[in-house]
Amino acid sequence: MNVIEIRNLHKIYDGSEVKVHAVKGVNLTFEEGEFAAIVGPSGSGKTTLLNLIGGLDQPTSGELLVGGTDLSTLKPSALIDFRLNNIGFVFQSYNLIPVLTAGENIEFIMALQKKARRERDARTLELLEAIGLSDRIHSRPAKLSGGQQQRVAVARALASRPKYVLADEPTANLDGKSATSLLQIMEKLNHEEKITFIFSTHDPRVVKMARRVITLEDGCVVSDETRNPEIPEK
Amino acid sequence: MIASIAWKNVWRNRTRSMTVISAMAVGVFAGVFTIAAMNSSVVQRIEEAVDIELSHVHINSRDFRSDHSINNLLPAPDSLRNRLHTFPEVEWVTGRIILNGIASTANKSVGVVINGVDVEKEKRMFRLHEKVIPGTGSYFEAKTRFNTVLVGEKLAKELNIIRYILTPEQMDAYERVRFPVSLTEKVAPLFGRRFITDKKFTAALDSLLTAKEKRKYGYPLREAAWSFREGSRMVLSFLDANEIQTSAVFRISGVFRTNNDMFEASSVFVPEMELRQLTGLPVESYHRLICRLEENGLTDTAVPAIREAFPEVEVLSWKEIQPDMAMLADMMQQIYGVFMALILAALAFGIVNTMLMAVLERTRELGMLAAIGMNRRKTFLMIMLESLYLSVTGGAIGMAISGIVIAATSRNGINLVKYSEGLEAMGFSAHLFPVIDTPFFIITSLLIMLTGILSAIYPARKALKMNPLEALRTD
Ligand SMILES: Nc1ncnc2c1ncn2[C@@H]1O[C@H](COP(=O)(O)OP(=O)(O)O)[C@@H](O)[C@H]1O
Ligand SMILES: [Mg+2]
Repeated sequence: MNVIEIRNLHKIYDGSEVKVHAVKGVNLTFEEGEFAAIVGPSGSGKTTLLNLIGGLDQPTSGELLVGGTDLSTLKPSALIDFRLNNIGFVFQSYNLIPVLTAGENIEFIMALQKKARRERDARTLELLEAIGLSDRIHSRPAKLSGGQQQRVAVARALASRPKYVLADEPTANLDGKSATSLLQIMEKLNHEEKITFIFSTHDPRVVKMARRVITLEDGCVVSDETRNPEIPEK
Repeated sequence: MIASIAWKNVWRNRTRSMTVISAMAVGVFAGVFTIAAMNSSVVQRIEEAVDIELSHVHINSRDFRSDHSINNLLPAPDSLRNRLHTFPEVEWVTGRIILNGIASTANKSVGVVINGVDVEKEKRMFRLHEKVIPGTGSYFEAKTRFNTVLVGEKLAKELNIIRYILTPEQMDAYERVRFPVSLTEKVAPLFGRRFITDKKFTAALDSLLTAKEKRKYGYPLREAAWSFREGSRMVLSFLDANEIQTSAVFRISGVFRTNNDMFEASSVFVPEMELRQLTGLPVESYHRLICRLEENGLTDTAVPAIREAFPEVEVLSWKEIQPDMAMLADMMQQIYGVFMALILAALAFGIVNTMLMAVLERTRELGMLAAIGMNRRKTFLMIMLESLYLSVTGGAIGMAISGIVIAATSRNGINLVKYSEGLEAMGFSAHLFPVIDTPFFIITSLLIMLTGILSAIYPARKALKMNPLEALRTD
């Protein structure tokens, strides 16, 4: 079953001086368990497309169905709840709440979902284990490296058991080694939890690890290929 | 979870939060303590009015207040008294003879109200006997063949029974201050001279002393010079039971000092029996019965019940006799509330400013929270709680300090006697015993919370207006 269906999607930024046609008639579908990269030069519309898929921005025209729900039919407050329960987010930076520890940051999103304490605790421990940061459960973000912070962000994104996780240039601020290890963790979780990952990047080492690569250019999809990923061994 | 995040957020910028909390604490302390000090005089004034001047309930003939003539007596006081004692709230009942008269000494006459009192009973019902100035006599204790009268200090001064005479002996004997020799020399021209008012004495001092000396020694010198002429007498004139003008000499039994100049100047007290002999009023005839209730708090319920039982006479509570006093108490409560509200309103600007900074510097974080699914209600709650924590923490510290300082000062009070003339003239004590009551404590606590809540509204709305996309833009 398709998790996301995008039909003839357009986004025009109607600024005071210029109109920018950032997404021009994109058609895409994503299935359960995909591990897809959106690549393209800077300004090609990657962020815009991810924001639309994430329900953070409204398309100018076209259809966007998530698990059969047309996002444009949701009221703002319903949309927030929809994001909470269906979508995980990893941003380039400022992902974590600085006053909460790594463990609390992961738990926080489940608290927003009003999950039971026991379930929250178990899931937090499980995810910390998966990202290899069990020993940092009580550390605040400021005490973690950039790579470790992004790993916690990935765990946080998965904690709510979303339908898919969107990550806009999650490795942009990381060195090569940290970037590769973040992608390894994302791939592992994608595999274990069968959750769709869609991430944008322009780092060729990261692109290599995707099973599907969608290339944008000037707001249009110019190629969409599925292939065998090259996952480096640890 | 939101509550704990909000608390942690408060401490992200320790200095800034501590500044606001301190401002809040200092402001609340200043407000509460000032009010407690102001309240002291009101509470004392009311207590004194009841314990010294009025007691709780007055009963007299229906038109007595407009017609003070001697034969306007209370009908059947005996049976009234017996029936009054059947009310469980009533603790004591006493009767008084009340005459309008004139008090005079060699050179002065003053109109007064003469109260004929049952000495033993009034000693148990009132605290006037505690107010007799040491050295001026007693509350009718001395055995004497003369008629005796108890007068207030203010009246005694007016009638020249109390004067100001400075002597070297008095200056030596004065205990509270040691006067330097140089000062003794300076005031030597006043020795032995008689001043009939403190104003005249002070004026004479003014011409001899520097401003600094006056400030330091003016009050002690006045106290040292204060002298009571022992064995003083005065004449009281009034109409007797046949409405014939009568005069008699009275020896001053003692001089009382209260915080109410009006009362001191206009009321004199004479044992009931002496007045009966002079006027020819029969035994057990009274102009007024006065009841003391078990507690002041019973006044509002007991008085209407008593009034209903005695339709033939006038029954008044102290609140009705002195409505200004009862109003004062109510009005002060309102003034305190407004005063506190003004202080808190000023402090609210500090909180608004701090919260606004806190919101603006967290733009990205708030955007991220909205993006991952924290709804508007929770965001609003978080900002509201942060603001509430600031105000309540500061407010609680301020209240605690107030509590400690009030407890520390209420035992011995704060003595403003030096600056007190204005206060005492209005019946307020110059010796303050700070006090606040529970309703005020509760109202202030609520106002502090309200401050936190109202201060949060504007910053919280700002936080909600934030667009997650704008917030998350990295370029
Ligand atoms: N809020 C906006 N208002 C106007 N133009 C925008 C806005 N956001 C992005 N754009 C423009 O849309 C185009 C696509 O941008 P973006 O989606 O950020 O690309 P990418 O993430 O691939 O670099 C760019 O030309 C960019 O300048
Ligand atoms: Mg981008």
